[in-house]
Amino acid sequence: MSDGLGDKSNERRGFLKRVAAVSGALPFTQGIAGGVAVASLTAAQPAAAADPAAQVNAVVGYNSLSPDEAAFVEAMVNLMCPADDYTPNGVDCGLAIYIDRQLAGSFGKGAKRYLRGPWPQGKPQHGYQLPLTPEQYFKAGVAAAVTACQTKFGKSFDQIAPADANGFLRDVAGGKVLDPELNLASWFNELVYPLFTQACFADPIYGGNFNKVFWKMIGYPGLPATNTINMVQFRGKPFPGAKDPKSIADFS
Amino acid sequence: MKTLEKRTVVIVGGGLTAGLMSRQLTDKGIDVLILERGGDHTEGAEAKLPTQRDELRWDVQQGLIQDWSVQTYSLRHSSKESALPIRWMEAFLPGEGLGGAANHWNGHTWRWSEYDPQLRTRLETRYGKQKIPADVPIQDWGTSYAEMEPYHNLFEKLFGIAGKAGNIKGQIQPGGNPYEAPRRDEFPQKPLEITEAGLVFKATAEKLGYKPFPTPAANSSAPYTNPDGQKLGQCQYCGHCERFICEARAKASPEVLLYPMLKARKGFEVRLKCHALKVVYDAKAKRATAVQYVDLLTGQEYEQPAEVVVLAAFTMTNTKLLLTGKIGKPYDPATNSGVVGKNFCYQTNSGVSLFMKDRWFNPFLATGSTQTTMDEFNNDNFDHGGLDFIGGGGIGASMFNGRPITSRRVPPGTPQWGTAWKKANADWYVHSMALGIQGSCYPHRDNYLSLDPTYTDAFGQPLVRMTFDWRDNELKMSRYVTAKMADIAKAVGADIVGPAAPRQAPFDTRQYQSTHITGGTVMGADPKTSVVSPHLQHWDAHNLFVVGASVYPHNSGYNPTGPLSALALRLGDDLVKYVERPRML
Repeated sequence: MSDGLGDKSNERRGFLKRVAAVSGALPFTQGIAGGVAVASLTAAQPAAAADPAAQVNAVVGYNSLSPDEAAFVEAMVNLMCPADDYTPNGVDCGLAIYIDRQLAGSFGKGAKRYLRGPWPQGKPQHGYQLPLTPEQYFKAGVAAAVTACQTKFGKSFDQIAPADANGFLRDVAGGKVLDPELNLASWFNELVYPLFTQACFADPIYGGNFNKVFWKMIGYPGLPATNTINMVQFRGKPFPGAKDPKSIADFS
Repeated sequence: MKTLEKRTVVIVGGGLTAGLMSRQLTDKGIDVLILERGGDHTEGAEAKLPTQRDELRWDVQQGLIQDWSVQTYSLRHSSKESALPIRWMEAFLPGEGLGGAANHWNGHTWRWSEYDPQLRTRLETRYGKQKIPADVPIQDWGTSYAEMEPYHNLFEKLFGIAGKAGNIKGQIQPGGNPYEAPRRDEFPQKPLEITEAGLVFKATAEKLGYKPFPTPAANSSAPYTNPDGQKLGQCQYCGHCERFICEARAKASPEVLLYPMLKARKGFEVRLKCHALKVVYDAKAKRATAVQYVDLLTGQEYEQPAEVVVLAAFTMTNTKLLLTGKIGKPYDPATNSGVVGKNFCYQTNSGVSLFMKDRWFNPFLATGSTQTTMDEFNNDNFDHGGLDFIGGGGIGASMFNGRPITSRRVPPGTPQWGTAWKKANADWYVHSMALGIQGSCYPHRDNYLSLDPTYTDAFGQPLVRMTFDWRDNELKMSRYVTAKMADIAKAVGADIVGPAAPRQAPFDTRQYQSTHITGGTVMGADPKTSVVSPHLQHWDAHNLFVVGASVYPHNSGYNPTGPLSALALRLGDDLVKYVERPRML
């Protein structure tokens, strides 16, 4: 994963050739695989990823989170994603930025969710049934978790020892931390945890998965369009493209 | 409300069935108007690179799926409970826009079992009348596979289906499905490439004496030109197929193969962003006279008079429009009378994960239909004589994508976060596969659709209420077939085998299972137990027709697309005859 600039350019040219070769084999010229990608790849400059200064997320500033909420979220993503042999810590991977941007955007505002009452509470299998938007629900849950943490440890979540914080989150997920109103286990398992895994594995264009670090970790090659030959050539074998995944920005 | 000039055939819903019917009708010069609530996807970000390859936008956040804030469904698990609206549905995913759910489908294209259209007769003949429980209203469809075969054949050629025949005119073919209904000839295209997971499954299944075969696919295994001169590109195995629109035009879809051709035909019109509100029914004359809709671009409401009305919307909407139009008697489980809404069925699925550190499964090299499957335990392909259930499921190795947000597998016991979680993902992402079951779901007296008494949609109309749960028969079936799958999983010799959990009640809307909901406007020969005739003609209005999976009296252990496409093509031909001389067909 320490490809020099030259290697990366060669790799890209190789990909471009493969796109062109397969596109050319198709029986028509418009609307086929790689039409746009070919044009934009030709013009693409080498990605900033090769610059060592850009190895951690440099985006700062929150749209949605308050300072207290940000402290909770940053502590949480650094706990769930510690710096280790696999990735930098959660904040450096952009996970807090991802969550903030999702809460501030259409997801957080409840896009496409049915929001008409009345609001009786059903079984878990009915899914989420509160009149709060995901952003409001996220924040209500953070406030409840902060209070529960303060009650138990006498300190805020970002101030307690990592082992305690880890145990606390496990208890939240396992339904052992109770709030008089909110079901914190549902809050964590059905809202917070999905946001965490999305932050890790969504395209970096959304602010998380900085430098495609999680894609590299698992060996996901990202977006390349044309695998008809690869499907046969690399069936049952290591796939070379997994070492240098491509994202939306690489083709834009 | 403005009243428009009368049209010959007005179709509600611009999806797969509308496109197929329109092909038959406009070929004979018959005037067709389609009303579609969504837009045209072909030039959007969803159909262009690189934005097409966005798992978060199109998959996780359901960019191509029905807007639940506008219209959702409510659910209760039995008629004794109150229903709640599903505020964000994961279990099944109706499409929106021209092409409907056939834009974001996987592409599995089955002909069902030869006996499926006569399932009650088949089961009673084989096991006796007592075999079907009293609360399981399985009924014959009033048609036969032989009657539908020419239309299956036409659909497969139009959509360039890739597969391996298992039964050509009664001759069993090596490499194909020996349980297949007899076909006239080989599939139009060679099967898709098999995945590594498919090879693992195939070797084990064959060792155990089973006959695995490639699932028939609408993902084009080569460049293809259909009998209409419409073209498919070659599948690129990009792993962004189901839940996505294929930018390579390699997944057979109405927006690739039907609508561009139809738009060039005289007498064909599709009105986009037009949301149907109601079918106007003249109960005295027993006629559907018009469709009322709202133009979403202007807010103007229209009444569109029609000689013939066809409901070709998603399963739920077909039922809803009959209920809101007060056409036909609503089904009532208490008295077991009425028909509209009855026999609502789903798909009984389960799965198991396998972890093999020396095998490179490369899950991202895949299409929506790269599946190797076996039919030994599907439907009534095995003897249920000593068993306390009916039905079954196909067992297969499904490798459709390696999209990293939703398609990672980690061994049981892996922590949910931290370095150990990362290690498990890094160790197993390319070294894991799954086996899965797609099982039948037979009707139950208390599984049905009706109008919700409390909740309304953005147009002020009642939501469709599902009364649905997994009942005894499906739970027993799932336990039996899942155990068979677990035996195969064990025989693979994997490093780690995950739990093989059968389907459990209650029905859970938070988990995707399949978009294969069926029934509500079922077909049949008896007006007392069916909504439409064997020709899909409404018993109470002979100029009103209904098509789609909503006419299936039960759901089989197969994807629903094949039979509903064959029915739509046949309906197109029937409508040509009907328009010439309107009558009960």
